[in-house]
Amino acid sequence: MPDSPDAALLRADELTAGHDDVPTSAPVHLHLPPGRALAVIGPNGAGKSTLLHTLVGLLPPLGGSVSFDGEPVDERRASFRRDVAQVLDDDAFFPALTGREHLLLTARAHGVEDAEEVVAAELAAFGLEERADALPSRLSSGQRRRLALAAAFVRPARLLVLDEPERRLDAEMRRTLAERVAAERDAGLAVLFASHDAAFVTTAADEALLADEECVLLPPEAVPATMAGTEG
Amino acid sequence: MTVAAATPAAAPLDGREVRRLTRRSAAARASTTWWTRVEDAWSTIAYVAILLAVAGGWLASVRDEISVREPVAAAPLPASAAALVALVVVVAGLIGLLDRLGPISASPAAAGWWLPLPADRRGLLRGDLVRLAAGCAATSAVLALPLAMVLPGATPATVTAAAVTAAAAAAGLVGAVALAQTRGRTGRLSTVAGAVAVLASTTAALLAIAPPLARAAGELPAVGGAVPLAAALAAAAVAVLLLVAADRGLGRIGAGALRTLGSTSAFASASVFSMDLRDLGRALARPPRRAPSRPRRFRPARGPGRAVVLADLTLMARSPWQLGQLLVAVALPVLAVRTEGLDRLPVAGAVGLVLGWLLAAVAVGHPSRQGHAMPALDRLLPLSPGRLVVARAVVPAVLLTVVCGCGGLLIGQSGDDLFAWTVLALGAVPAWTAAAVRGAYRPELDWGGPVVSTPMGIVPAGAGATLVQGVDVGLLGSAPILVALLVDGPPLAVLVAVQWGWATAVATAALTYLAHRGAAKG
Repeated sequence: MPDSPDAALLRADELTAGHDDVPTSAPVHLHLPPGRALAVIGPNGAGKSTLLHTLVGLLPPLGGSVSFDGEPVDERRASFRRDVAQVLDDDAFFPALTGREHLLLTARAHGVEDAEEVVAAELAAFGLEERADALPSRLSSGQRRRLALAAAFVRPARLLVLDEPERRLDAEMRRTLAERVAAERDAGLAVLFASHDAAFVTTAADEALLADEECVLLPPEAVPATMAGTEG
Repeated sequence: MTVAAATPAAAPLDGREVRRLTRRSAAARASTTWWTRVEDAWSTIAYVAILLAVAGGWLASVRDEISVREPVAAAPLPASAAALVALVVVVAGLIGLLDRLGPISASPAAAGWWLPLPADRRGLLRGDLVRLAAGCAATSAVLALPLAMVLPGATPATVTAAAVTAAAAAAGLVGAVALAQTRGRTGRLSTVAGAVAVLASTTAALLAIAPPLARAAGELPAVGGAVPLAAALAAAAVAVLLLVAADRGLGRIGAGALRTLGSTSAFASASVFSMDLRDLGRALARPPRRAPSRPRRFRPARGPGRAVVLADLTLMARSPWQLGQLLVAVALPVLAVRTEGLDRLPVAGAVGLVLGWLLAAVAVGHPSRQGHAMPALDRLLPLSPGRLVVARAVVPAVLLTVVCGCGGLLIGQSGDDLFAWTVLALGAVPAWTAAAVRGAYRPELDWGGPVVSTPMGIVPAGAGATLVQGVDVGLLGSAPILVALLVDGPPLAVLVAVQWGWATAVATAALTYLAHRGAAKG
């Protein structure tokens, strides 16, 4: 990123991510300041999800360091969880809670005032108004994905982390979500996401990190050609 | 609202409030009423009371039968030593289970919706710790009651003290393992616990077959007997301290670990509720952390049949849990026939033999269960179902020859019929080999068909007939040796011949049926 590393909200130095002592990608060096969006791109198995999990403290780094707001990342700290909104694994819901209740739980746990209004607005933004009071088992796969994504927007945050946000969304929703992410970025939110969607990346990201045998930063305009090359 | 601009104005919820809000939301549309819960609790208490009465009565009759019979073995393993070994194995099993499942974990839903919240993690997880400790304590107390009731000189006070001790020990174990989890020291406890259980069982078996050692063990101070109430209360106090210490550290457990353990627990719970013991084994098995240091090239695998045999052999060699089970399987029959008191009951030897060989059959069926889980791999090989079944039976047959042979040797070594007992035991190998393969490839329960209401809940019709597939062949094929144990006489040559012929016939029929059904189809 072009900004000074000192201004970074999220910073990784020579970070090696992986499972059970086996690295899944080359060491990563990144610094993400507020108001910037970084996309992580690369083919399947390049270690994008593992990298995101490591950056938010769900996996221990195999090497290097990662810090948030100047402190080593530790997701056990309530302040870290208050500042970082993440949608990584979205396949599980409380079976007896409706979609609206899931979002209200998230908003209220974050102390959002007028939680019901905020939730109603996000339900509308994600096209879930009519299905808001349905149980998750009665929602389609795409609707459950929208619900999981909406949870990241009903609460305050300083960093938004999304793993393949375009997954299971229709074209219209992908475009709307990309524009929403870009708007949040412009309002000062730091955004980090992994994606296989070149259009999403060019709309929402300021820069892209190609995770492969060597991790390199790319400008957004280089993303479509790069993705076509790496992902066939 | 934009995410970045928003600032919280209301007080955020703490962990306890998040739990409560979730529970209330779910309860608002639940069909279960308080009256239904009372009915369920009452019926559970009634079933448990009936089971306790039956178990207590049975144990008392066993005790009386032992007291009127003459000692058989010259220097059996003291009962207190065998009881201590049983206790070690039970404790090791509980520790291993707690370690594998957490003991604290987050369900996939909780991992997705609770753990990312800023609410205190201690408040979110405390309920799980309390429920787990209470459940283990209650189960242990119930299991201890019938044993305490048949101890010599049992009084209401001693029975109560035993139940309190058992409950405190179980709750204390939960607290200790949870405390270790909060300090990041779990993950390998189950391996250590398994090794301790195997070591204790095999050591006891070795003591049992060496009269001087057994006599020496008998001269050691006996453990067990009635527990003073003060000791029981002290144990309860220690358990409470451990649980409080674990509770204080709950906030130190990372979301990644809670999420992973929660997936394992969910898999294991689903296996229990769907009565799929094969899946339960897969859920509790710890996947290897590293690739093997010496990868095999399978050069001797000339042909698909040999490839299956070599693959099965490699899998068994890389499965320390199954190898440990085989050692325990050898030890069990020996302990049954050479423990003070049990040695006077011929039926104990038969039961020990069946349990040991069943354990061995389950262990050696491991490669076949893997094959059943991934039928596509079997279909890749140019093998007919019949040849596949035969190939899958080779490794179990070899390993069971060792287990059954050892069983016969150890049972017969106290008398003059060592050779006869060994040959007789080896005659059961075909039956238990077929049992291992048949059990591994038994069909899934049909939850889509008719169901039957039982005290334990709804089960598919024919569940029992499906679940005993494997055991049935082993038991049927071992009938002659079981008869020999029950009549407590030296095995005659004709009985040995009948054992070999009968077990071979039963095994052939079972494996032929399996081949016709198509093992690779599952």
